[in-house]
Amino acid sequence: MMRIEVLYAETANLYGDNFGINYLKQSLPEVEIIHTGLTEVPRFVTEEIDLVYMGPMPESSQELAIEALRPHMEAVRRRIDEGKVFLMTGNAFEIFGAYIENEDGTRIPGLELFGGYAKRRMMNRFNGMFLGSMQDMDGQELKILGFKSQFTHFYGDTGVDFAFKRLRGKGLNPDAEGEGVRIKNFIGTYLIGPLLVVNPLFAVYIMKLCGAEDPHPAFEKTAMEAYEVRLKEFTDPEHQY
Amino acid sequence: MKGWYNRTEAFVYLEKRGNIHVFRFIIALCAGKILSFAIHVLGPILHKNGTHLPGNIALKIDPLFLRHIGKPETIVAVTGTNGKTTTNNLIIDALEKNGYKVLSNRYGSNVDSGIASALLQGVSLFNRPKFKLGILEVDERSSLRVYKYVHPKYVVVTNLMRDSLMRNAHPQYIFDIIEQALPDDATLILNADDLLSNRLKPQNPRIYYGIGHQPGDTAESRNLINDVQICPNCHSKLQYHILRYNSIGRAVCPHCGLTSPEADVCTLKIDREDRVLTMRLGAAPFDFPMISDSIFNIYNETAAVALLDQLGLSHEKIAEAFSTMQVVKSRYREDKVRGIRILSTMTKGWIAPACSAVFDYVSQLPGEKQLVLYLEDPTDPIFYSELLAYTFETDFEFLNKDNIQRIIVIGKRARDFYLRMLLAGIPEERLAWTETIEGIKRYLKPKFGVDIHILYDLHQAVHYDQIRANVIAAIEEAKL
Repeated sequence: MMRIEVLYAETANLYGDNFGINYLKQSLPEVEIIHTGLTEVPRFVTEEIDLVYMGPMPESSQELAIEALRPHMEAVRRRIDEGKVFLMTGNAFEIFGAYIENEDGTRIPGLELFGGYAKRRMMNRFNGMFLGSMQDMDGQELKILGFKSQFTHFYGDTGVDFAFKRLRGKGLNPDAEGEGVRIKNFIGTYLIGPLLVVNPLFAVYIMKLCGAEDPHPAFEKTAMEAYEVRLKEFTDPEHQY
Repeated sequence: MKGWYNRTEAFVYLEKRGNIHVFRFIIALCAGKILSFAIHVLGPILHKNGTHLPGNIALKIDPLFLRHIGKPETIVAVTGTNGKTTTNNLIIDALEKNGYKVLSNRYGSNVDSGIASALLQGVSLFNRPKFKLGILEVDERSSLRVYKYVHPKYVVVTNLMRDSLMRNAHPQYIFDIIEQALPDDATLILNADDLLSNRLKPQNPRIYYGIGHQPGDTAESRNLINDVQICPNCHSKLQYHILRYNSIGRAVCPHCGLTSPEADVCTLKIDREDRVLTMRLGAAPFDFPMISDSIFNIYNETAAVALLDQLGLSHEKIAEAFSTMQVVKSRYREDKVRGIRILSTMTKGWIAPACSAVFDYVSQLPGEKQLVLYLEDPTDPIFYSELLAYTFETDFEFLNKDNIQRIIVIGKRARDFYLRMLLAGIPEERLAWTETIEGIKRYLKPKFGVDIHILYDLHQAVHYDQIRANVIAAIEEAKL
C-alpha cells in the first residue's frame, strides 16, 4: 500500500495546495495519508514512505520547518538517494536551499540540500502564470501549468537541475531558464494551483514515481478537460503574462 | 519627488522657504473639494460612484495629504478580514440615531484614497474639521499608509482570516502589517475568540469582546482551513474546546498553557426566538436586540457594543438604537416568481472563509433547493487564466446535502468549479456546468416548493440581472 507523509500541515497549508494530496487520495483510494506535526519525528526517518509532501507556509513557519527538519537531514538525503519521492510546493522548497535572505539583509540558514537562496521582498508580492515542460517516465514531453503568488524569488547556483523547463512566465527568478529544483525524485517548485489538480498528468507522473501501476487521476475526464482549456489559455500568444 | 511642479521656479522657491508642503496641500485640498462637488452633482446622473477619486487626486498632488488634512478629535478605525463593513455600519447607525454627527467613509472606499476622500468631506475650505468624531473602515493592507498620519483613538479588529492570496497572502502577513502600523497608544477592541488578531500590540490598552459558551458549540473543525493551529508561543498544537468556524473559537495550549483571553464584553446568551443577545459588559448582564442571527454578525454586533460602550453611549441608548436596525441587505435579495422563491446572495470570490460562510448558511436553510453559482472573476488583472486556488480552501463540502437537488455552475471556469464539487463528494447527477448564463435555462429544473438560490461573486454583480432573468425564463418555460 502506498504511503504519503504530509509534513507540518498545521502550518504548511496555504493556497489550497495541500488539496493535491486529497486529489491523490481520491485517485488512489488505498493510499495511506500520514500527517506529521512540527513537534514529531517524521515517519520517513524510520519507515518506508513513498511520497513526502510539504505545502506553502507563512514566512515565520519556514523557520520552524527548518528547525524541525534539520536533525533529520541525513535521513532526507538517504531517502532521496533511495529514489523516494519528495514534493514541495510554493515556498516549502526554499527551506532546503543555503539560506533565506530577509529584506534587511539578515539570513536564515537553510538546510543546504542544494545551493542558492531565496530573497524576500515583503511589500512586493509577485503574482504570475507559468508554463513549462518536463519529460515523463516514457520520455514524453509533459506540459506543466502553474501559478505563482509569492514574496520571494530564488537566486544563485543551486547546483542541481531545474524541475521544469521554462516556456512562458518567470522561473525560479525573473532571469532563470527553469522553474523549481530537482534532485532525483525530489521536486521542489514555487508553482501552486493546486499543482496536482491543475496538472492531472503530473499527478499521474507522481503516482507512477511512487510505484502505482497504471494510475488514473480522479474524475479524469473533467480534470483533463479543465487542463486542456487552461493549456489553451496558457499557450495563447495573444495574452502576455 | 517626480512631477511637473518640481521643475518650476515657484516650486524651488517655496521649497527653499519650507512652504512647499503648504502650497501642495492647498492645491490638493482645492482640487479634492472641486472633484468631490463634481461627483456629488454628476455622480447620480452618470451612475458613477468614484468616491475614492477626490482622495486619490489629493494624494497624488500632496503625498502627505493624510498628514496635512484636518481630522476629527476622535477617530475610530474598524478593520479586519471579515465583518468590518457590517460592524462599521452598526457603529455609525447607532451613533447617528443618538444624535452624533459622524464623519465616515461608509459610502466610499476603505483604502488610503477613500479615507482621504472622507476626510476631505470633513473639513472646511480652510481645513477646519467639521466633525468631532470619525468612524473609518480601514483596509488591512492599507494600514501602513493610513495609521502613519491618521491616528485612531480606538481600533476595532473583527478578525484576521484568509483573504485574496494574490494581495493579502496569508493572515500572519496581514497581522505583521497591522502590528507595525498601529499607534502605541490606540485602544484596541479585539476579538477574544480569534487567537491571531487578539495578539496585536500586546502593550496597547485593550478591550476583548467575544461570545460565551453556547449550546451546540463543538470542538470539531468543520472547515478545510484553520490558520491558528499552533501555539504562537511554543508552536505546539493547540487544543480547541470551542471551534465555531475556521480559527474562531477558544483554545488552550497543552504545552505552555496559553489560553484565549476572557472577553470583557461577552455575549452570554443568544436567544434566536425572541431575538435578544444577553451581554456582560459591566456589573450586570444587559439585553440587546439581536440584529442578525448569524454567528458572524453576532460577533460584529458584540464588537460594536464594546466600542459604543467605550465612546460613552449608555447600554439603554445602544439597545434603543439597535432595536430598529438591520444588517444591510445589499448582498441578499429574496422574491417570488410564479410561486417559486428566488434567493440571491452575493459573496466575495477569492476569499475562502467568506464563500464557506455563505455555503454553510445556504446549506443549513430548511427545505429543498437548487443552486445557481457564478463565482468566477473574469476581471482578474493578473491571471488571465484565473487562479482558483481559493476554491480548494473553500468548503464546497457544505453543499453536499440531500436537500440541495441541483447545482448549476456558470462561466468560463465552470469545469474547474464542477471538478471541485466532484472532489467535494457531491454526486455527479446533482451537478451541471455551463459556460453561458443562458445555459441556466437548460439545466435548471424549477419545481413548486423548491427554492432557487443564486450565489454570485461581487464582480459578477453586473451580470446579476441577466442571471436572474434566465432563472425566471426557466421558471416560465417549466409551465408550472
